[in-house]
Amino acid sequence: MNIDDFELIYKNNRKEIKNKTLIKTELSEFLGEKNVSIKNADLLAYTRDSSLIALNWTIQGKIAGLPDFITWPETKEQISKILKLANKEKIPVIPYSEGSGVVGGSIPIYGGIIIDMKKFNKILEINDKNLTVTAQTGINGMNLERYLNSKGYTSGHIPQSLYTSSLGGWIAHRAAGQFSTKYGKIEDIVMGMEVILPLGEIIKFKPIARAATGPQLDKMFIGGEGTLGIVTEATLKIWPYPEKRTLISYSFPTIEDSFNATREILRENVYPAVIRIYDVHETDRHFSEVENAKKRVMTVFVCEGNKKLVDVEEAITREMCEKNAGINCGTGPVEHWFETRFRVTETSTMSPYKLVYDTVEVASLWDRAARIYHSVVEATDRIKGNLLITAHVSHFYANGVGTYFTFGGVPPKGVSDLEFYQECWDSIIKAVLEAGGSIAHHHGIGINRAHWMKKEWGTAINVMKDIKKLLDPSNILNPGKIYEDIWKGGVE
Amino acid sequence: MGAFETLKKYKWMIPLLNKADRDIKSILMKNMRSKEKNFYPEGEYKADVDNLIKCMLCPNMCRFDCGTLQASQTESMSPSYKARIGYYLTIGKIDPTKEENSDFIDFMYKCSNEENCKIWCPFGFSVVSLLETVRDDLNSKGLTPDYCKEQIKKLEESNTIEGYNIYDTYKEHGIENIETEGNDDVFYYIGCESMKFPDVIKANISILQKAGVKFSTNLEKKVCCGGPSFNIRDSDTAEKFAKKNQELIESTGAKIIVSDCPGCVLTLTKRYESIGIKIEKKIIHIVEYIKQLLEEGKINPTKNVPVELKKVTIHDPCLIARNLNDTASIRAILGRIQDLEIVEPIYNKEYVHCCGWSGTAHWADRVLAIKEASNRIDELRETGAEVFVSACPLCELGLNYGINPEEKEKFKILDVSELLVKSL
Repeated sequence: MNIDDFELIYKNNRKEIKNKTLIKTELSEFLGEKNVSIKNADLLAYTRDSSLIALNWTIQGKIAGLPDFITWPETKEQISKILKLANKEKIPVIPYSEGSGVVGGSIPIYGGIIIDMKKFNKILEINDKNLTVTAQTGINGMNLERYLNSKGYTSGHIPQSLYTSSLGGWIAHRAAGQFSTKYGKIEDIVMGMEVILPLGEIIKFKPIARAATGPQLDKMFIGGEGTLGIVTEATLKIWPYPEKRTLISYSFPTIEDSFNATREILRENVYPAVIRIYDVHETDRHFSEVENAKKRVMTVFVCEGNKKLVDVEEAITREMCEKNAGINCGTGPVEHWFETRFRVTETSTMSPYKLVYDTVEVASLWDRAARIYHSVVEATDRIKGNLLITAHVSHFYANGVGTYFTFGGVPPKGVSDLEFYQECWDSIIKAVLEAGGSIAHHHGIGINRAHWMKKEWGTAINVMKDIKKLLDPSNILNPGKIYEDIWKGGVE
Repeated sequence: MGAFETLKKYKWMIPLLNKADRDIKSILMKNMRSKEKNFYPEGEYKADVDNLIKCMLCPNMCRFDCGTLQASQTESMSPSYKARIGYYLTIGKIDPTKEENSDFIDFMYKCSNEENCKIWCPFGFSVVSLLETVRDDLNSKGLTPDYCKEQIKKLEESNTIEGYNIYDTYKEHGIENIETEGNDDVFYYIGCESMKFPDVIKANISILQKAGVKFSTNLEKKVCCGGPSFNIRDSDTAEKFAKKNQELIESTGAKIIVSDCPGCVLTLTKRYESIGIKIEKKIIHIVEYIKQLLEEGKINPTKNVPVELKKVTIHDPCLIARNLNDTASIRAILGRIQDLEIVEPIYNKEYVHCCGWSGTAHWADRVLAIKEASNRIDELRETGAEVFVSACPLCELGLNYGINPEEKEKFKILDVSELLVKSL
């Protein structure tokens, strides 16, 4: 097969590597032949991540990026050697685990060496007294979680991508799970890490509950998206598997009423593990058979943990919902959510109809959450070709929320999939920034949001760029993400 | 998903779509109408393109439980990627006739048929069921890989899965052959892989005899069920073996066919039916029959098994657990053996992980299959038991490959019948 038969989306960025044979030989020397490939059959597997636009390209026979080498290191020393070789030859290196990212984070825009972390899949220790698990970061999320479950624990980190993502991916993209309102986000869960820096140095942040030993340097690698280092091992908090789980749902007249109820629950220092607010459209989509939710805003809660505490949380949750015009919808909607939360069929059914769609999650404080919702809906509704813009709110804090928008439509005549996709993305992000929100809640920056980083961070982005330059002077580690605007678009 | 379910699922979109401009609606309608024209191949093909597309666009919801992916730890072995390659081979984006693309063709066979994927699939299919349809097209183009042709050659030449007729070895292994008198209660249908485990066969014969069952084994006439030809999708060979077996089975007059190989049970039933051959007999795995014998009191385990066999773990054969939906029989049998400690592995019953020796993967990539077996051995070892009990010759073969040579003495892989017979 000639790989050129596949149209390359980021073709203008690709850099040709001249002495490929020599580099393959060098890689094989320390990785072993079986852990290096330049076969088309392997290269093609690493040409995209799980960005929804990439699915349109897949069915159209296009590829996003094209790597030159695939490597499967088995030791941290081997990763270090790959990075040293890449620095010597000035070749990009792209860390990859499960490829579940949705913002282009693992796309090899410039080509280069893929470091597939899948062989780093061991669970090293469960410590009951400390309530920690230490694992290698290539481990699949579900395989980690079900192992913990079998021993009577949970990590509490249950993203919708649980089946398809890795511990390393969670850390790289600063992930948040569906149960995070109680258990925290990945940065709250990770207690220690081993990281290999771009020049190949291996550093370790020992696991500790808390320390005042200077700035939290370790946190910089959480959300680094594989641009500052490769995390090879992490120690996470775990919890005894919950003794009791209570399912609650209420519908509200408006999203504002639901926000008020939820905010008041959290003000009481009550943290249901799961809270999900669905706007009117998504309520219709998921709960059309719930009579009490017609043309209203469905909100589901899961309280879990110690039985006595769960009972108290339930009572406070119900009190706040009823105070804010909530109508009890029983356990059915929550059971429906549990049954369907991993039944993802939409990704498989839209692209054959050339529909362009995606999800964009953003963050905000409470006082602007409703404004952001309405601004995004209005702005995206105006885009020619866009057919739907809906939202649910899925991550909660006493001080704010994470809102998850879904858009979808067909590009008008003369507009490419990517152009239409970018227009929708940029419109949402712009509306969020103007309404005082933050551009990403838990998927990260990758390619899709890099254009807006200056607006999001202000001059602080220059500090970040300096740090990147210091750690990675040849810019070999996952280039084209976070700091570089590959899309070159978006009206500011 | 049927038309009604689809309409119900997407009903919520209708008011939103109604708001769209006329030209956008027109583009949308055109896209809806042109799906097949845009993305389906022209001409005749057998590939299940509709579901290959669904699978290749899925975020790989089953990836964490795919045995070959977990064994290889390479993205190229992920289920959605295999579907993607199947699709590209079907539409000609990757030309299957070119020698340089043989690696891509191999992906269509690197599956151990365990069907864990089906449990997690949002559409409810297994990846192998899609890959098999791609194999159909490869076969019709004369592109069957050599390692598959070799298996068909063995079937044609020896009537079994070996290069020689493995049933001929029964005498040298001291296996009693019982020819039918045409009026048996039971035909004990011995699988060709089972012939590699004479002690299992002897145990089963002993159990049936102790229970007073009138049965035959017909080893002089016995041939393979044809299972490998169904995996390879060689329909001519499959039909030939189906007819031979139908004739043999009917000649015994037996009301019940019990096999020690779940692959045989699947082939004699669902797979024969898929090519229009229905054997009107009760065809079950022997564990189900032995469970029944225990319940009826026809056998009664009273003896203690040797102390070194007292602590066991169970490896459920995928085909018994997920295809025959029977995880109770093995446990019921073991539960009747006195003082036996049973430690369940994390992945058990319908969630069992494969031994690596099913499907076509072990022909296409033996190293991969052994790694899959060794992964399963690691899971069984974690229980602390040193006796691994199963009920399938392929599993027992695969698990044997999965144990490090230096640890062969430490761990024992036993068929449930071997353990039971010691207690009778």
